[in-house]
Amino acid sequence: MVSSKGDGAEKLVVDSIHGDIHLTNRELEVIDTVSFQRLRHLKQLAMSQMAYPNATHTRFAHSLGVFAIMARITRIAKASGQINLSPEQEERLRLAALLHDIGHYPYSHLMEQIDKIRLIKEQVEVPDAGEKTIDKSGAPYPEHDFVGTLIITKQRDLIEALGGKRRAKEIANLFGPKRPTESKKSLQLSKLVHSSLDMDRLDYLLRDSQATGVPYGQIDINYLLSNLRVSPSGAVGISEKAIPAAEQFLIARFFMHRTVYYHKTTFGMEEACRQLIHRLRAQGKYEIPKDGKEIEELVTSEALGTFTDAYVDEIVHKAIINNDDEVIQTLAKSIQKRRPPKLLKEVPVLGSVEQSHEPHKGTILKQNCKHYLYNLAKDFNIPLEQFILCETPPLRLERRGPLVFAEDAMKTNLEEEEELIKVFVTGEDEPKSLVDIPYSLISRCAGLFFQSYRLYVIYEGDDKNSVISELCNKVKGWDKA
Amino acid sequence: MDRQQIGVKLTIDALNLPFQINSFEDRLIMQKTIYLAQAAGINLGYYYHWYLHGPYSPSLTRDEFAIATDISVDLDESEGWKLDDSSSHKLQKIRGIFTENERDELAKKLELLASVHFLIDRKQVSEVDTSRITSTLKRFNKDFSEKDVKGALGELKAYGLLQG
Repeated sequence: MVSSKGDGAEKLVVDSIHGDIHLTNRELEVIDTVSFQRLRHLKQLAMSQMAYPNATHTRFAHSLGVFAIMARITRIAKASGQINLSPEQEERLRLAALLHDIGHYPYSHLMEQIDKIRLIKEQVEVPDAGEKTIDKSGAPYPEHDFVGTLIITKQRDLIEALGGKRRAKEIANLFGPKRPTESKKSLQLSKLVHSSLDMDRLDYLLRDSQATGVPYGQIDINYLLSNLRVSPSGAVGISEKAIPAAEQFLIARFFMHRTVYYHKTTFGMEEACRQLIHRLRAQGKYEIPKDGKEIEELVTSEALGTFTDAYVDEIVHKAIINNDDEVIQTLAKSIQKRRPPKLLKEVPVLGSVEQSHEPHKGTILKQNCKHYLYNLAKDFNIPLEQFILCETPPLRLERRGPLVFAEDAMKTNLEEEEELIKVFVTGEDEPKSLVDIPYSLISRCAGLFFQSYRLYVIYEGDDKNSVISELCNKVKGWDKA
Repeated sequence: MDRQQIGVKLTIDALNLPFQINSFEDRLIMQKTIYLAQAAGINLGYYYHWYLHGPYSPSLTRDEFAIATDISVDLDESEGWKLDDSSSHKLQKIRGIFTENERDELAKKLELLASVHFLIDRKQVSEVDTSRITSTLKRFNKDFSEKDVKGALGELKAYGLLQG
């Protein structure tokens, strides 16, 4: 809902997470561009609605939420006298927060990552398979950050709404490269768009938790924001008394990943869809951009407004009605008719980044799939391509573990260090990283990572239940050497 | 490992470098090596920003961690894969850049080469204005002289990473 505040200077949007969000006329003009409205048609959680029916909220709502948090942060920082922002700097920060997700692809990371996938034939031993080649001579699909920069600096409607090319470039730079001309304090605030305690995460945990009905993402955002501080050198952190809120925030993120973002149904469906698009692109079908150059052309053209979730839905539909390939048919029907890939075997692993290990159960599953999956598929007369072997990305509580030696602290990669949650220990002017606070739970657990290895199959025969059950039995011991 | 991560591992292997991310120098070498490999025409797909030590890609940091996690449990899924011939040839041509024996010296050299390349490639400065390149690096507390910058420009041109 958008309404005028009465004096015409501001508009008001009511958000289910943050309540009233006040917008200036310029911000409203940006929101009303076709380029920004596209975000209404990108679901924040891609295919999670297949598992959580209410998870249909959009990148549009999330972008407004991140904007609302940035507005609160700049307000708090100014009111406390810790930071002196000019009206122009403040406006740039608010607009950068609003536009931080403008470059997302249809179904977000699903489509962005189709260059990354390996087909099952490339993962397992197949008779007479030749040497496998990675072709890096063509441009892959670019990361959404880069696509965002292109959209902000090339789409005419956004350039006009932002007040010209120069301003558009300045805003794109705030979630891109560091500029020597920008004040250090405003740079630190802009980094809050992408760091451990970033406003992106603050919003999506709350929003995704509410939409899915999974309570683990409920964080204490008010306490975190009211305890934000800026140091004399411009470093942003939280006061010591807010450590429990920061710890719970990191743990909430960890559990939301395990429960929602890595949900077996969602993860399987998205992987199946990624494989489908990858295969269709290889066939040269349905005008799927063949490489990064074609993506760049698309997102800087008027066709950007059509580059939404519906773009992928239409490809899936076309594959069902006019593609003869059996595997493509199976994958496409699995997606459109919500027949998710069946999980045959899952191996969750909790590892430590600080030690090298013997092969664990996850790697053993992969090795066994490599050696035996081809024959298993043959024995069951199921095309090998209908099996999906994948793993979730390694998930850490914080981006690095605690530093044990002083010399390590001296040599920490500053870029990575800046992304960690910082704490102002009482009596000290400059903050230190939460992982280096000895009594923090995070300092003990930051060296751990969680990862899940999975084997799925898509099978739709009449004897589905008994075949799936038999397959499960066959691979039951595949996590053992 | 996904296809992009396999590409990274094969690139590091092709340049005869160890895949290490334990120390600050290790991670800096990894970041700048992949930057320069991309500058040589290997399309690995990482988008670099300018940070405190020159060009830096947060998504590469995540992938380095994922690769190192696999390697730490003896799982190297780049085995059995090779880069396309054209990419292998391009890497062969720049291999001479990475021959320093000492890791800290290699890190410093790659930081300079990647930073100078980034500033010129993104049109932040003109390549003929070596004093401006030097002063830009100084603003980020980089202890590189104008002579170092000129040397880096020469090396980048010699390896075909900048137009001669």
